[in-house]
Amino acid sequence: MLEINNLRSRIGDTEILRGLSLSVNAGEVHAIMGPNGSGKSTLAQVIAGHEDYVVTGGEVTFNGSNLLDLEPEERAREGIFLGFQYPVEIPGVNNAYLLKAAVNAKRKHQGLGEVDAFEFLKIAREKMALLGMDPKFLNRGVNEGFSGGEKKRNEILQMAMLEPTLAILDETDSGLDIDALKAVAEGVNTLRAPDRAIVLVTHYQRLLDYIEPDFVHVLSEGQIILSGDKSLALELEEKGYDWVREAANA
Amino acid sequence: MKQPALSIDDLREAVMRLPDDSLTATREAALASLDEQGLPSSQDEDWKYTDLSSAIDVSNRWLAQGAKTGSTETLRASIKSVTASIDANWLIIANGIVDLTCLGEPAEIEIKKFTDSAMPFVMDRPLADLNAALLHDGLRVQIHGATEKPLGVLVIDEASDGARVIQANVEIEVAPGCDAEIVEYQVSSGPADHYANSVIALQIDQAAQVSYVRIQDRRIGHIQTARLSVVLGADARLNMASYDLGGGLVRNDVDIDINEPGADAVFNGLFLAGDGQHIDNHTRVDHRVGPASSSQEYRGILNGRCRCVWNGKAIVHAGADGTDANQANHNLLLSDHAEIDAKPELEIYADDVKCSHGTTVGQLDETALFYLRSRGINKREATQILTHAFAADLVTRAPVPTAKDAITSLVEKRLGELIQEEVL
Repeated sequence: MLEINNLRSRIGDTEILRGLSLSVNAGEVHAIMGPNGSGKSTLAQVIAGHEDYVVTGGEVTFNGSNLLDLEPEERAREGIFLGFQYPVEIPGVNNAYLLKAAVNAKRKHQGLGEVDAFEFLKIAREKMALLGMDPKFLNRGVNEGFSGGEKKRNEILQMAMLEPTLAILDETDSGLDIDALKAVAEGVNTLRAPDRAIVLVTHYQRLLDYIEPDFVHVLSEGQIILSGDKSLALELEEKGYDWVREAANA
Repeated sequence: MKQPALSIDDLREAVMRLPDDSLTATREAALASLDEQGLPSSQDEDWKYTDLSSAIDVSNRWLAQGAKTGSTETLRASIKSVTASIDANWLIIANGIVDLTCLGEPAEIEIKKFTDSAMPFVMDRPLADLNAALLHDGLRVQIHGATEKPLGVLVIDEASDGARVIQANVEIEVAPGCDAEIVEYQVSSGPADHYANSVIALQIDQAAQVSYVRIQDRRIGHIQTARLSVVLGADARLNMASYDLGGGLVRNDVDIDINEPGADAVFNGLFLAGDGQHIDNHTRVDHRVGPASSSQEYRGILNGRCRCVWNGKAIVHAGADGTDANQANHNLLLSDHAEIDAKPELEIYADDVKCSHGTTVGQLDETALFYLRSRGINKREATQILTHAFAADLVTRAPVPTAKDAITSLVEKRLGELIQEEVL
């Protein structure tokens, strides 16, 4: 589904990704771990199409086509979803309005008509109940005045409504208490399906207790230096990242 | 380039041709005062950013062509479309001529034409002098009690050929303890050059409350200078919002005079400007006594090649202790060719006061734009959503509920045009 080959990217004059390769297939859950500054969030932003990150080399294909040619909105409509580490507050834009506009943009791209307003609200309320979100959040400004946990739940709500083919969740676990973490994990697990892939970008192993990954990758200095199964995450938790770096350099 | 002078001789002839009525003496006094002072130029601090040359040029051509008044007949359809959009008791000044046919018969509103009862004009300002000198008729309105519908003041013009100039003058007094809603609506159409100069005076008596909405939707290219002077009595309240959508050269002066304790004035404004527009909002609030409060927030959205001015002055006079004055101006610049001159001014001569002011000028938040795009919303639509959100707040706060739908649709229409203007 997603093929990344020798990807290089910089922001300003700083090169962050330095020849990163990764292959993600349908049905898989990948966890990307690594110390601060290793390039985890950059990878997420580059896949979503943030213009501040300049791709200087390598290829990224999504379902066989060149992803790097697409605008961020086109990537989203093709089925890529980025759950933001820091969801943006947009006062004056109604949360329900954004959800509906996003769902309709994707439906239009798929040649479908606009979603029925009644049906839309019904589904949104169901998903919110699953995530433990008060329905009143639908009528608030996007993330406006939301707590950290509420913002992350809202990201998962958007994901659940958009039903992406590839979901990249950037530090979705940061700043969450245990109840919120469980709710978010449940939201993600509900989405697991043979035709979907999920990439979890995380600093800590904790999230992986609730969302079991098929693969764990360690990112360091802009490259994946080690890959393994979920036991690798536990090993990292125990031994820290220096151990992997030393092992990789050896 | 030097500002042209107003042709006083032609003006004098035009004044002489007006009917000999109870306003004659006032017109002549205003003419003399104008002759002496002249119109403001960029030499005047208050007019540094706004050049009246085009208004003077249109006036001179109109005067040279015989200072004709347009017929109001052609305006029937336009009047109907405005009066149908907001349910109000409408006073209409159509091409400068007073028309009371859409007023209805509200018992609580009493209206007199100036010509029936001579009005004392305050002639300390050149544009007010120009207004008085050329005035056909003005209206004095007294609101004695709560009315079912708002009072509408519609200044509507059409300039089909040559150059046109109109004056509008309305004085409104809201009786003690009375709640009133007022909608001021200025609109113009037609391909020819046009200049409208209005003076509205509002007196809010003791413990009275006024909700006031001003809509300016003149044709892009037409000129407006408009003064609104408000005097607040003890414990009186004003809640106002103005919406500038059109006009080529627009200069609005809002003066708020707090003469009695306990008054509270809130006045907000939204201005939307695109190619070829110059919109200047000058506000001044005089806190002469305390305790009293005033608060203003103006927001501008600018795209294309345009210039806007916001100058907010608050003067807290000696002894006006207990004053609370706040002013804010936030601007969104969507184009490199758009210019805003934003100037908050505070003059404080009292000790126990709370004053604040703040101004921001910026582009759309790139992070928010990317966030929306990452949800599948295209760049143009994302820009529209964020721009609308910036304006929405002031539309939501429109103080006259009956007018809210009309304001919403006018603002959305104008924003839609503005965002089309330049490839983003």
